[in-house]
Amino acid sequence: MKKLIVLISMVLALCFALAACGNNASSSNQAPSSDSNAAQSSSDGVADKKGSGTVTVYMPSPAGLVDKQVAEFEKQTGIKVEVFQGTTGEILARLEAEKANPVADVVVLASWSDGLTLKNQDKLASYTPKRAGEMVKDWIDPENTLFGYSASAVGVIYNTTIFPEMNADWSELADAQYKDQLAIPDPEKSGACKDFVANYVAANGWDDFEAMAANGMIVPGANKAALEAVTTGEVGVLVAGVDYNAFKSIDKGEPLQIYYPKGGTVVNPRPAMIMKEAPNPENAQAFIDFLLSDESQKMVVDAYLLPGIEGIEQTNRIPLKDIPQIEPNWEESMKTAAEDAQKINKMCSK
Amino acid sequence: MLSRIQDNMRYIVLAIIAVILFVLIICPLGAIFATALFQDGKLNIAGAIDVVVQSENAQMIANSLFLGALVVIVSTLIATPLAYLFSRTRFAKYKIFDIIFMIPFMTPPFIASMGWILFMQKRGLLQQVFPMFKGSEDFFFSIAGLVIVMSLHSFPFMFTLLKNAMLNIPSSLEESAQVFGAGFGQRLRKIFFPLLTSNYAIGALLIFVKTLSEYGTPATLGVRIGFDVFTTQIHRYATVAPVHFGNAAALSSVLIGICVVMWLLQNYISNRKSYNLVSGKGSRFKFEELSKLALVVAWIYIIVTIFFSIIVPFFAIISTSLINLRGLGLALGNFTFQHYIDLFTSNSKGIGAIINSLILAVAAASICAVLGTIIVVVIRKIRPKALGTLTEGVSLLPSFLPSIVMVLGIMIFWNALYDVAPLYNTLGILVLAYVVLYLPYTIQYVTSAAGQISDSLQDAARVFGAKPLYILRRVVFPLIKPGILTAWIMTFIISFRELVTASLIAPPNVLVVSTFIVREFEQGSVSVGMAMAVICVAFTTISLTLLNKAVDKQKVAE
Repeated sequence: MKKLIVLISMVLALCFALAACGNNASSSNQAPSSDSNAAQSSSDGVADKKGSGTVTVYMPSPAGLVDKQVAEFEKQTGIKVEVFQGTTGEILARLEAEKANPVADVVVLASWSDGLTLKNQDKLASYTPKRAGEMVKDWIDPENTLFGYSASAVGVIYNTTIFPEMNADWSELADAQYKDQLAIPDPEKSGACKDFVANYVAANGWDDFEAMAANGMIVPGANKAALEAVTTGEVGVLVAGVDYNAFKSIDKGEPLQIYYPKGGTVVNPRPAMIMKEAPNPENAQAFIDFLLSDESQKMVVDAYLLPGIEGIEQTNRIPLKDIPQIEPNWEESMKTAAEDAQKINKMCSK
Repeated sequence: MLSRIQDNMRYIVLAIIAVILFVLIICPLGAIFATALFQDGKLNIAGAIDVVVQSENAQMIANSLFLGALVVIVSTLIATPLAYLFSRTRFAKYKIFDIIFMIPFMTPPFIASMGWILFMQKRGLLQQVFPMFKGSEDFFFSIAGLVIVMSLHSFPFMFTLLKNAMLNIPSSLEESAQVFGAGFGQRLRKIFFPLLTSNYAIGALLIFVKTLSEYGTPATLGVRIGFDVFTTQIHRYATVAPVHFGNAAALSSVLIGICVVMWLLQNYISNRKSYNLVSGKGSRFKFEELSKLALVVAWIYIIVTIFFSIIVPFFAIISTSLINLRGLGLALGNFTFQHYIDLFTSNSKGIGAIINSLILAVAAASICAVLGTIIVVVIRKIRPKALGTLTEGVSLLPSFLPSIVMVLGIMIFWNALYDVAPLYNTLGILVLAYVVLYLPYTIQYVTSAAGQISDSLQDAARVFGAKPLYILRRVVFPLIKPGILTAWIMTFIISFRELVTASLIAPPNVLVVSTFIVREFEQGSVSVGMAMAVICVAFTTISLTLLNKAVDKQKVAE
């Protein structure tokens, strides 16, 4: 018993000692980590209005594009960019874990509906970018919180060594000649595929997807893993595959082709957003303006994505005006998207 | 009086350990489980229970347990003969195999299973080379395939543990049985296996727990066959919008429950079947002589194991890293070294990632080795015993749940603590996370080694007036050193290639090897990712070979 008391009192004493150490450590560390500390204090509204010379950006693919944009932005403004590159899921998990001390200034996601979810959770700040008027219609929301600086669409991607020529509509993919030749990206991991499924099902019902599943459609993984399955010829056709990766592979010489079925697809603007609790709001605004600048839009085009500003020239892929579209109902599809995605996965698992 | 002071010393050390474990493990776990119990600021236990009892989760739990049991069985079947060959027969002289059999474990699980998929899939590498295997993909994309791939990854755990234990069984025990006329089979059954029960229990637990909390393989191969397990479901809760940390935590509490029960069972078995094999008596070591036939069979067995655990996946990985156009497959003129060149020349990220991983792995392995050894040495002497068991249990907790849960807890806790201890968003938080996650391995390895040491050795030293620190330094430490070294190596390997933790907690602008590979897979070139994987495994293999050489040299010098 006595030992136990000794033990407990020691634990307590140590706790205090440790806490004290922690304090010392934090003050002695102040010099090297001044950036993050400054970021910290400005979030408390105490520090200078100018921000701290950094902006923290959470951004998904494509990596090459992000790197180029960051380098150019740093060169132009002198503001240092801290980038966390991850999947939409990893970014959302990080935001949730950092609730107590928000770190991110700008968050970019690959799916408009995931952006709207953040907006509905009241996590976004409103800002009118300098070029708001030149943006593609509806690629900025009425409250000025989501800025679609680029976009992708999903199409049918096929391996030309297996199918030399294809133009089947979505509903025709249930045809016997595509038996065991279909794959779809995991809609729970691919925001673009998820949004397409939700909007397509809302417009046309489940019949077509059920028929494709019955035709032996598999779910090989997220966007890239699914594209891999078609590239390596495991299957011949990728349904609802994200287009920009495909255009890139085609340019490289892979035996692939892509088309957008007549039934229409969903063009999914990739929203950049300023967080409401951004530690460096002004730098965040500068970064958004940069994303919409001509230099950055040129990089977007080079990455085979659709540019968010009207009138930017694009020759390396099928341009926006030639893509047949389903009119997306984002508010509605947002509610059903997660469930629809799960349903696709269930239908396609053996 | 003297022993009184020693006693107190021991409790002070225990108290320090308790505080460290509290901050490192209990606080983050508390932070994440709070999100399960408090939803919208209200205590909501019913909600947490609801998540657990959903019918699809019941199926998923059954899947996980089934998978865990099968992987333990298959890993045992692979590892036991190897452990015997490399400890009791002349094969033990071929030290190089110690490293070779570590290669499956050095390979990130998601890479190995991708290699297998590329090899086995329809129009995959196997069918390109041997078209007669058409249709073999149906066999592979099944639970059998999943179990085999996971076992081929985790058998090295069992192999090293059993091998170290077998090395400590003195030949005299077997010889006396032989004198009394016991045959080979009978000796195995009556002498060998009973002596190993305790170590085997630890190994089986490690593999079972590791299988249940493994994400890489179920996420690449498991999803293909619609085989949901704990980790895939927990990752879905934690990273698929809308994210529910609470649900992830609630579900992992079931996993923790299962693992704690298994661990107590293992403890029970180990305590009843523990034999002090390393005592003061001198023990000779004599290799079992193998007949010609046995030698041939042994070689075939070793080669077959290497073929399936290393050659097949690496054939796929290396050929992918060399193929120019993936769509053309294995075709003459479609090979290039460009991906390796890109890795080092297109930007400095590849090299940066290797350096970061190296720093992290060395730091985490060293801290784990020191902390883990202290914990094991101290808790073995603590009375009441329950206090030691409790401490050990807490330190093992991180291995009982998928790393994502522990990592989210660490993130929530250290992010909230940022003003007091600005560790979050530095490389330090990654080291901390690895130490938390891999401390259990060190503890298990050192426990396995320490369990075989007889107390009489320490008593003898004490009789001759040795002080506790002296005993520790000159008696205990040299005897458990192989265990510590193995633990260091295991932690080094696993931290060098870790993915889940790094992909969530790595500070902005910091890439490690695994996140580099995954980013390449997702947005860049699969071939460049595979090239990185090849280079890292080669790098790990070479550095471990050098390390082993250095240790051997030191032994000779002593």
